[in-house]
Amino acid sequence: MTFSADPEFSSITATIRLSGELDSGSAPQFEQVINDVASRDVSRLVLGMEELAYLSSAGLRCLVFAQQKMPAGVPIILTGLQPDVAETIRLTGFDRRVQIQGRADA
Amino acid sequence: MPDDPAGQAEDSVLIICQEGRTPGELHRALRSDGFQVEVLAAGELSPGAVLNAAPDIVMASASLGLQRLGMLEEHFAQRDAGERMPNIIVFAEDDSTALVDCVVGGFDYISPPFLPDLLRSRMSSCGDRFRLQALVGKMAAEASLRDYEQQLSIAREIQLGFLPDVLPALEGWQIATVFRPAKEVAGDFYDVFELFSGQGLGLVVADVCDKGIGAALFMAIFRTLLRHTAEQAGAQPPWRAEARPRKSGEPGPTGSAGAGLLLAAVAGTNRYMVRNHLRQGYFATVFFGILDLSSGELVYINGGHNPPVLVPAAGGYQLLQPTGPAVGMLADSTFTLGQSRLSPGDALLIYTDGVTEARDEQGEMFGMNRLLAVAGQLGRTAEQLTGLMDQAVRGHTGYAEQADDITMLFMTRH
Repeated sequence: MTFSADPEFSSITATIRLSGELDSGSAPQFEQVINDVASRDVSRLVLGMEELAYLSSAGLRCLVFAQQKMPAGVPIILTGLQPDVAETIRLTGFDRRVQIQGRADA
Repeated sequence: MPDDPAGQAEDSVLIICQEGRTPGELHRALRSDGFQVEVLAAGELSPGAVLNAAPDIVMASASLGLQRLGMLEEHFAQRDAGERMPNIIVFAEDDSTALVDCVVGGFDYISPPFLPDLLRSRMSSCGDRFRLQALVGKMAAEASLRDYEQQLSIAREIQLGFLPDVLPALEGWQIATVFRPAKEVAGDFYDVFELFSGQGLGLVVADVCDKGIGAALFMAIFRTLLRHTAEQAGAQPPWRAEARPRKSGEPGPTGSAGAGLLLAAVAGTNRYMVRNHLRQGYFATVFFGILDLSSGELVYINGGHNPPVLVPAAGGYQLLQPTGPAVGMLADSTFTLGQSRLSPGDALLIYTDGVTEARDEQGEMFGMNRLLAVAGQLGRTAEQLTGLMDQAVRGHTGYAEQADDITMLFMTRH
């Protein structure tokens, strides 16, 4: 499945919609998007995960990387997680570092 | 590039000449030798114009200068990944200084008079030189690839040395493992070692996020920190004497000393990694259990790892859920202890996500259900269960490429 990460910016929020599979193959692509987002002045990062079908450990590493790159105090909100993706994040304990919500547009 | 150095009828030549000049003599000589010739004026040297042409040979006027020739070379080298790199030969029109510059700059050249016989001979030797250069370049690339492969195979050997040589032979217990890296080197590892003068057994299965050489380097750090701390703390028999009768559910001496050892090893490794390596973003999911070999008590820390499966002799299963986050991921992690017990006839499977996430050719994962179906078979030895699970995973994946490291460790009590 082809991975895509499309960022959108509003006044204070960056929203990245992820689709496909985030694994070691697509991780560099996502990291590039994160670098771009981190260089802008946003005070909230939303990752829309409705279409994200799979998150590997290398993919999770990207989320950790995103959290490190964003300035302290910028919340990261994950929305619309599919069950397997939510389980990967829960198992590794990264759910304590991000906010998890049901839907991207909520 | 055809092998015939003198060129064949279908060989095409792109002549790039100085603005306002026509290379009449050169053009005629090439045509009479059977080349297909196109002529482009230097001023037309826009990216689009060159993109359309795919000549076997480019003859460029020396008056273009080294910089434009370099750009031309770059352009062809990038297109089709350099598969159809033409031989670029410069020719002098009337400016011999420019020709000298180009020749010093490494370009092959031809010079007037452009008579068919002379030209054919010159082009033949230009072709030879070109092919020789290409061959040398290819050999250098192959040599560096061989060197890289050799380095990787050394890395693999060293890494395999980080796994236990032999698994301890224990009375009443059996251990068996499978370790299959997705690449030459892995981010997964397992470890089995005796503690407390042989009364306890340390069991570790861990997965450093990502795979390949980066993960492998961090695997070495995680493995060393965990094992070193554990061995330091677990060198002696448990010191606490059994002064009073144990309450039910209270850990025995190995369990109690094991608890301190686990916390020291896992929390200590987390602190070390966060303090020194947080920016590099490598963390590991770690299951570290200490088994009391006489009682079967198991104390463990599960740092964000796929829950190991304990299958009691009576059937059913128990998942040993995380008791803390992945190790090296967060600065303020706290880890708590989990506790369980292996009775005779029980089996324990500790594995990495490479097992459950192994895919078949359609992309379907092996998954938890298939894993439980194999692990739940009662009355088998660790050796048998490992064989069955490996067979099931291989059967599922078929010819699909292995995407992640696969590690599993079965332990059975008999």
